[in-house]
Amino acid sequence: MTSRRDFIKVTGAAGAGLVLGLHLEAKPRPGEAAARTFRPNAYLAIRPDGRAVLTVPKSEMGQGVRTSLPLVIAEELDLDWSRVELVQAMPGPDFRHLGTGGSTSVSTTWTTLRTAGAAAREMLVAAAAQRWGVPSGQCRTEKGFVLGPGGKKAGYGELAEAAAKLPVPKAPKLKTPAEFRLLGHPTRRVDGPKIVVGRALFGLDTRRPGQRFAAVLRCPVVGGTPKAWDASKALAVRGVKAVVPVPTGLAVVADGTWAAFKGRDALASSISWNEGPNGDFNSKDLETRMRAALDGPADAARSTGAVVPALAAAARVIEAEYAFPFQAHTTMEPMNATALVRPDGAELWVGTQSPNTAQERAAAAVGLKPDQVKLNVALLGGGFGRRSGTDFSTEAAQVAKAAGGGPVQVVWDRTDDIRHDQFHPATLHRLKAGLDGRGGLGAWSHRIAGGAVLRSWLEGKKAPGQAETEANGAWDLPYDIPALDISFAEVEVPVPLGWWRAIEIVPNVFARECFLDEVAHATGKDPLAFRLDLLGKRGQVKLGEEELDLARLRKVLELAAEKAGWGRTLPKGHGLGLACHAYDRRTYIAAVAEISVEKGGLRVHRVVAAVDCGIILNPDGLAGQVEGGVAWAVSALSSQITFEKGRAVQENFDTFPVLRLPEMPQVEVHTIASTEAPSGMGEPPVPVTIPAILNAVFAATGKRLRRLPIAPADLA
Amino acid sequence: MPAFQITVNGRRRSVDVDADTPLLWVLRDTLGLTGTKFGCGQGICGSCTVHQDGKAVRSCQVPVKEATGASIVTIEGLSKDGSHPVQRAWIEEDVAQCGYCQPGMLMSASALLAAHPHPTDGQIDDVIGDHICRCGSYPRIRKAIHRAAKGGAE
Repeated sequence: MTSRRDFIKVTGAAGAGLVLGLHLEAKPRPGEAAARTFRPNAYLAIRPDGRAVLTVPKSEMGQGVRTSLPLVIAEELDLDWSRVELVQAMPGPDFRHLGTGGSTSVSTTWTTLRTAGAAAREMLVAAAAQRWGVPSGQCRTEKGFVLGPGGKKAGYGELAEAAAKLPVPKAPKLKTPAEFRLLGHPTRRVDGPKIVVGRALFGLDTRRPGQRFAAVLRCPVVGGTPKAWDASKALAVRGVKAVVPVPTGLAVVADGTWAAFKGRDALASSISWNEGPNGDFNSKDLETRMRAALDGPADAARSTGAVVPALAAAARVIEAEYAFPFQAHTTMEPMNATALVRPDGAELWVGTQSPNTAQERAAAAVGLKPDQVKLNVALLGGGFGRRSGTDFSTEAAQVAKAAGGGPVQVVWDRTDDIRHDQFHPATLHRLKAGLDGRGGLGAWSHRIAGGAVLRSWLEGKKAPGQAETEANGAWDLPYDIPALDISFAEVEVPVPLGWWRAIEIVPNVFARECFLDEVAHATGKDPLAFRLDLLGKRGQVKLGEEELDLARLRKVLELAAEKAGWGRTLPKGHGLGLACHAYDRRTYIAAVAEISVEKGGLRVHRVVAAVDCGIILNPDGLAGQVEGGVAWAVSALSSQITFEKGRAVQENFDTFPVLRLPEMPQVEVHTIASTEAPSGMGEPPVPVTIPAILNAVFAATGKRLRRLPIAPADLA
Repeated sequence: MPAFQITVNGRRRSVDVDADTPLLWVLRDTLGLTGTKFGCGQGICGSCTVHQDGKAVRSCQVPVKEATGASIVTIEGLSKDGSHPVQRAWIEEDVAQCGYCQPGMLMSASALLAAHPHPTDGQIDDVIGDHICRCGSYPRIRKAIHRAAKGGAE
């Protein structure tokens, strides 16, 4: 794996390597009515009673995969949606590369799931046609039934046994979008009814017989280790059973979460740490190092034309520095995992975005082979990339092994969750634009300095695709500029890094789209017209290995501007700003924000988003993702993690503020009807919303905010 | 150490825990009612909200000794079958994303409606503004509360 793109290719293609027909034998699973269940592939089974059991190969973290993905199978298979049951895929022979991230859940499974459903449908039709002695062509399917000539009708359940004996078609006929009956219509979240009665089970809700609970006392400085401690006070807490050393610190094992927390706190009062080499790490010094790195060597992510001479020859050069801080994920469900470890095998219950990697790493940590570890994927109380990490699942396995006996649930409290996050890294950005005598943009340079998330994910290794990964959103800028130089200068940071909702694209598009706004204003052009000019009349263009359709980007930009009333007269203190991006070269999105600044306070009133993500599976789900992405973006204007003395300063929601309902802007979503293959929507709204808001601040106040979070003095 | 007598969802329960144990952990770990969620442990995020004698409280901030004698209602007891107006409205508006914070939201929303059957946006801001949803389901929460107030109509 050499880049995040490869990471997505590998993990995203959950089961893509699974050839349909692999399970021709239709192996029954425990509790199934043996051979009478039709299981043509790993994604679906039809039981004799007609109920369809569909496998969800992605982790549900609010983005709606447990609704949208089964819907794809149900569409091609013509199932009765109200009679569908779901099972969550587990790492194992059927699924070797489970992974959820990068807004790729739909795009990477689309063809596989459609083919799985369509193949099963053809087999059921063939079984019915055989039974009735009619050609398959005279049969059709509807809501779980095959319908034949002369009013013949057979339920899928009664055909299951016969269908299971037929060959699996290799290239079944797929529906055309015009034939879709489920896709494209609003479908409610399947887990909604359980959520509203408190019966949706997240990782933290795991309850196993004999389960104990543990809290881990970790050194607040990354890499630090316990030097000396007195376990007696912790052991004196009622309910505390043991204090055991683990690689991440000291685990306090108890019969309840509260006792574990109390024991952990008692232990903390007695402990001294070897802080290790990172006790002096702080944000201020890091920024100095990042600024120095902007002048040092860097890895090119994209270089076309000769930027240095182009800038030297430019009639005018504009230059600016942008800064984005460290961020925490703060999923509402803090990190946790439950593990049972025996000498010959283990079982984990965990909300994870990386089931197979979690399985492999936990196995390695306790001396087992991956296949000896059964990993159950629970619902995720938020993921946002944090649960792509495997630190918490590996740690739970280590605690359970050290504690011995039955299952142990390791619970992180909010301070653990923030302080020991895998942080989105801080970055500094230096951008330069070279303008010719007529205000034409002839050269563009964007250098990014900061920590590399990919290296952290690869446990310290530098991959060849590192610059491309860290400069995502910067190197794939869609504008027609003759000379481009996009580069990444890695700065070593000691804290673990991880992908955040919309990953490196957030800071990179923030800097890119705000700076482009600066350049537009510097040339006296309207920011919308300036962008449209730079997109030009081109359609398909090649960027690296991928194709990008600029016509689709122009269309969403124009649509968002039109719906937001771009150019209209606004109340005093109000401003409109816009930004656009082709997210991972797949999802085309533009946002226009309307804000006001009054008495030094920023208020985001409205965000209008226009999106083209190809075929829309569930419009209601899509709108929810845009609303959520906007909320995430508005939060990012105020939150940050800073480090002092090797420690994250922020510890809870009082110092790491997250957007609340009263500040939520009105969100409008406009979509482009499309028959293109579907892409994703979980992340794309975030990186365009932030610069749209900041560009609106400039429009309203003339103040150019180049640094997040916004400080009160910035708008005073 | 004496056991504490609390009434949860109409059932009297005797729990043998330390007096300072937050109600949250009594519900989740002692009584197995995991619908009430742990979010921040400091009463800032609202995920652990339950009703204590009809009022929305942060169960992570209520020591069990202070809940003795009180009637506690959790998300599991809000209705027998998910039919409380807020639960129905939450489904109608498809509010939840990950869903983790929603039990707390529902408990606060139902307490708000009990006190103010037709809450204003300002009243919704005041009550739900003390909660956090990281997924950003806020617009739908507001719509769902208004819908519930109108007896389920949009």
